[in-house]
Amino acid sequence: MRIGVGGPVGSGKSSLIAALCGALAGEARLGVVTNDIYTTEDAEFLRSTGVLPEERITAVQTGGCPHTAIRDDISANLEAVEELEAATGPLDLVFVESGGDNLTAIFSPALADVQIFVIDVAGGDDIPRKGGPGIARADLLVINKTDLAPYVGADDAKMVREASERRGSLPVAPTSLRTEGADQVAGWVRAQLAAFRAHGHLHSSMEGVPDHHHDHDHVH
Amino acid sequence: MDPLTLLLADSRFPSGSYAHSLGLEQAVNDGLRDVPAFIRARQRHVASADARFAVEARRGNVLEDEWYARTPSPVLRESAQRLGSQLLRSAAKIWDVPVARMPRPLALGVVAAAAGVSDEDTALLALYDDAATVASAALKLLPLDPAVTARWLADLAPDLARVAQAIAHDDGPLPSPAAVAIELSAPIHLEQRERLFAS
Repeated sequence: MRIGVGGPVGSGKSSLIAALCGALAGEARLGVVTNDIYTTEDAEFLRSTGVLPEERITAVQTGGCPHTAIRDDISANLEAVEELEAATGPLDLVFVESGGDNLTAIFSPALADVQIFVIDVAGGDDIPRKGGPGIARADLLVINKTDLAPYVGADDAKMVREASERRGSLPVAPTSLRTEGADQVAGWVRAQLAAFRAHGHLHSSMEGVPDHHHDHDHVH
Repeated sequence: MDPLTLLLADSRFPSGSYAHSLGLEQAVNDGLRDVPAFIRARQRHVASADARFAVEARRGNVLEDEWYARTPSPVLRESAQRLGSQLLRSAAKIWDVPVARMPRPLALGVVAAAAGVSDEDTALLALYDDAATVASAALKLLPLDPAVTARWLADLAPDLARVAQAIAHDDGPLPSPAAVAIELSAPIHLEQRERLFAS
């Protein structure tokens, strides 16, 4: 199963992945593909956390086009996932981290079975209202750094409320990764993984393309 | 013109080339500013030979050993293989082609054969793609008006057409050009702490 993790620069994507790897390493074979914009900073950060063996983390260059690499032309990322598995053996769960981007970035359903969009309170509490496909339709919306809300003049309850209004029944997870960790998100990932194992595929809320499931590589 | 040639020439066709500068990034790091000269040098020393290999592959002669013999740098081999397999990965969803690791010019020829693109258009695709990939990368590496980079390609058009036609009708020995500076700077690029492009 592949989980796409997208969201603006600095919202906590790498920290979320590090926390999830820490929480799930004992129960699933994990890998991470990062899409760095200019350096291999994200991959190096994840390696430095020691949550996964180094060879389970790989980086792709995006030529300054982080959107393209996860949506319009996913070939480099698909190849990176395959190479990761070729080097380390089969993986249960691969996180694909997008390069920090603006609110319009989403993952192709051919790259990510489900996707998490990460925003944070310090980026401004009007972000959920501004919307965008990640905020409106990502399978899980994480609103991170809630511990900072009083210091940056952000109303985190309003963010959750406005995000939920946009998202209907789709879940919103307010987190403070720094102070509380990612237990809630890890629980969500476990449920996705269990559903994926039971059915062989997932129905992502991001799927808008009607013929996605007629893709000839798809195993049913 | 065949619409499938346009499809393959379109940078929106998902084949991974947006992430490559084909050596321009390191050349710019080393002080290069005359990008059209770099494009023309690649045309002479790299792209014209690649175009011939693409045409050969289009005819069923997938000459991997011969291509590697002309590309000593393991870094350039690796990035060409990566681009080749990425092209084939997308093409395999459209035509009956294998998803294999082979240098991009050969992969292009294999795809061109499956798509029914002519020899001349295959050569033109190889030449144009090389130039357009560099021109597009230049916009992210140097302060430039995007209309100016489009003009570089327009200025190159007569040469592209002439060379493509000559290559499509060339049955002589395979060309053996050398782009030593590009070969030597490829591994240096890979070691850069900050880079936008995969090549």
